[in-house]
Amino acid sequence: MSLPCGIRNFSYHTDVAIIRTRTQWVLFILFMLALFIMPLYLPVSWYDTVNSIGILLIAVVGLNILMGYCGQLSLGHAGFMAVGAFTSALLTGNLHLPFLLALVISGLSAGVIGLIFGIPSLRVKGFYLAIATIAAQFIIIWVLQNWTDITHGSNGLDVVPASIFNLQFDSEIKQYYLIFTIAIISVLFATNLARSRIGRAFIAIRDNDLAAEVMGINVFSYKLLAFFLGCFLAGIAGSLYAQYRGHISYEDFTFQQSILYIGMLIVGGLGSALGPILGTVLIETLQKSLTNTVAPWLEHTVTFMPTGFSSGLNLMLFGLAIILILIFEPRGLSHLWALFKSSYRMWPFSY
Amino acid sequence: MDILIQNILTGIATGMVYALIALGFALIWKSSRVANLALGQLVLISSWFTYSMLVQFKFPFWLGMILTIAFAVLLGWLIERIALRPLIGQPILSLIAITLGLAYFLEGFTSFIWPQGQGNLPKVFPQASIRIGPAMIQQELLWAAVISLILFILLSVFFKYHRMGIAMRATADDQLAVQACAVPVNRVFSMSWIFACVVAAIGGVLISSIAAINYGLVETGFKSFSVVILGGMESFLGCIVAGPIIGLCETFGGSQFGSSVKELIPFIIIVIVIMIKPFGLFGEERIERI
Repeated sequence: MSLPCGIRNFSYHTDVAIIRTRTQWVLFILFMLALFIMPLYLPVSWYDTVNSIGILLIAVVGLNILMGYCGQLSLGHAGFMAVGAFTSALLTGNLHLPFLLALVISGLSAGVIGLIFGIPSLRVKGFYLAIATIAAQFIIIWVLQNWTDITHGSNGLDVVPASIFNLQFDSEIKQYYLIFTIAIISVLFATNLARSRIGRAFIAIRDNDLAAEVMGINVFSYKLLAFFLGCFLAGIAGSLYAQYRGHISYEDFTFQQSILYIGMLIVGGLGSALGPILGTVLIETLQKSLTNTVAPWLEHTVTFMPTGFSSGLNLMLFGLAIILILIFEPRGLSHLWALFKSSYRMWPFSY
Repeated sequence: MDILIQNILTGIATGMVYALIALGFALIWKSSRVANLALGQLVLISSWFTYSMLVQFKFPFWLGMILTIAFAVLLGWLIERIALRPLIGQPILSLIAITLGLAYFLEGFTSFIWPQGQGNLPKVFPQASIRIGPAMIQQELLWAAVISLILFILLSVFFKYHRMGIAMRATADDQLAVQACAVPVNRVFSMSWIFACVVAAIGGVLISSIAAINYGLVETGFKSFSVVILGGMESFLGCIVAGPIIGLCETFGGSQFGSSVKELIPFIIIVIVIMIKPFGLFGEERIERI
C-alpha cells in the first residue's frame, strides 16, 4: 500500500486507520457531503442511472470479494442476484415480512445457493470453476422460469417498495438514500474485510492456493466463505433491485448481466477497494448515455445502415473496453489512479 | 420401440453437432491453454457472414463457402493477433475475461451489422427424411454427424502426425521448453485460433442451415461446454464420445420430462461431472506442484 510520505504512526490505532491525514479527512467528508446532497441537485432523468449504479455497486463489491481478492471466477453473479431478488419479493409480498428482515434473509439465501455452487472449487479452479458457475446461472434462471407457481414465470412478480418501520421509500430520492446507505456500508465492509485475517487469506489463495494451503490456511473453507460473502452481497443487491424496480422477472437477470458485472470489475480494477466504484460508475454511466442519447441520435443520422443497428453498439463498446483494459492496463482504472496519485506526490521528481 | 430408436438416432446426431463446436474449443485449449468462452459467438458471426454471402449478395454456394472459410481464417488470425497475443503469460483469470470481452464484442458486432436477429440460410442438404430400420431421421442431421466425424478424424491425424500438430501439443505442454527448441510459438497460437474459427464456421453453417440463425446459436455454444467438460478438455476423442452422450441425455430427458427440461440437462451434467470427475472422461488430470 502506498502511503503519503512524512506520516508517522505512534499507535496501532493510527497505524490501521483507513483515513490518515487531515487532507484525506477533508476530502472524505466533502465527498460524503456531496453524495448526501447530490439528489437535491440532480436532474430528474439521472435518478434512475444513479440508483442503479448504487445497486450494481453492491453486487460488484461482492464479486470483487470473490474474484478480486479470492481469485474465484463467478460467471453466475446475476443468477445469485436473482435468488436474492425473488426471495425478497416473496418474503415481503406473500409473507409480509418487514423489509430489513427480508433483505438479510435474501442475502443469506443467495449466499447459501452460492455455497452450493462453490463446492466444486474444492477440486477445480480456473476455467472449470467458470463453467460450473455458468451452469449455476442457467440452472437458477431455469428454476425461476419454470417454477411458475411461485415466480409466475415470465409474468414476473410485483414488489412493494421498501419500508422501514413507518418510513416508506416510495420516491426516487428516498430510494437514493436507502440504496446508497447500504452501498456505503458494503463498500466499507469489503474494504475492511480485505485488511483482516480473512482478506489476507483470500489474497494468499488467489496468488497461489497450494502455497496458501502449505502455510496453514484452510483453503476450502476460505473459498466457500468467499463464495458465501460474494453471493450474500449479490443477494442484498438483488433484494434492493426488486423493491426499486417494483417488478421483477427472470428475464432481468441474464447471463449477459453476469458478464457485465465482471467487465465492470475488470475495468475498475480487480482486488482494490476503489475498483468496483470506478468500474460501476463509468460503465453504467456510459451504457445509460449510450442507450438514451447516442443510440437514438445515430439511428437518426446514419441512415444507410439497417434499422436497429445501434442496439449492438452497447455490447460492442463494452466488449472492446474489457479487451483494451486487459491489454493495456490489466490492473484497471484504480491502478491508473494510484499511479497518478504517486506521481502527483513525487512531482517534480520522477521517484 | 420405434420411438426409442428414433430418439437414439436423433440424440446421437444432435450430439455430434455439439461435438463439432466442442472440437473448436479443444483445439485452442490443446495448443495454448486458453479457454475460449466466445464459442457460440464465433459460430453466430460466421453463420451471419454466410447469410450475407449466400442470401444478401446471392453468391453461388461454393463461392460463399470459400469466402466464409476465408473470413474465418481472417477472424481467427485477427483475434489471436490483437486480443490474445498481448496476454501471453498472464493469469488464467485475464485469459478467461478476455474471451468474455471478445464474446461481448462479437455479439454486439453481429447485432450491429445484422440487426434483424433472425435469418435463414438456404438448405444445403436434401430435406427428405431417411428411414433407418423402423425409425425416421432427418437427413440433414446425419450429414452434420458425418461431417463432424470427418473433421474429428482429420484433426486427430493432424495433431498426431503433422509437424504443426506436434508443435501444438508440445506448446501446450511447456511453452518455454518448446521455444528453446525453435518452435515458433506465436505461429502455433495463431494457427490454433485460425483452425478453431474455421471449425466454428463449418459448425455454424451446418447448424444454421438445419435450423435458423438467431441468438440460440450462442446458447448452443454454452451447451457444448458440457461436451467439453464431460469429454475432458484436451481430448478430441472426448468431444466425439461425449457429444452423443449429451445429445442422448437431452433427447431422452426431453421425451421423459418435457421439452423445458431438455434445455437444462447439459448444465446439470456440467455440475455433476465437475463434482464427481472434474477432468472428464478422457482429460488428463494435472498434478500441481508449488
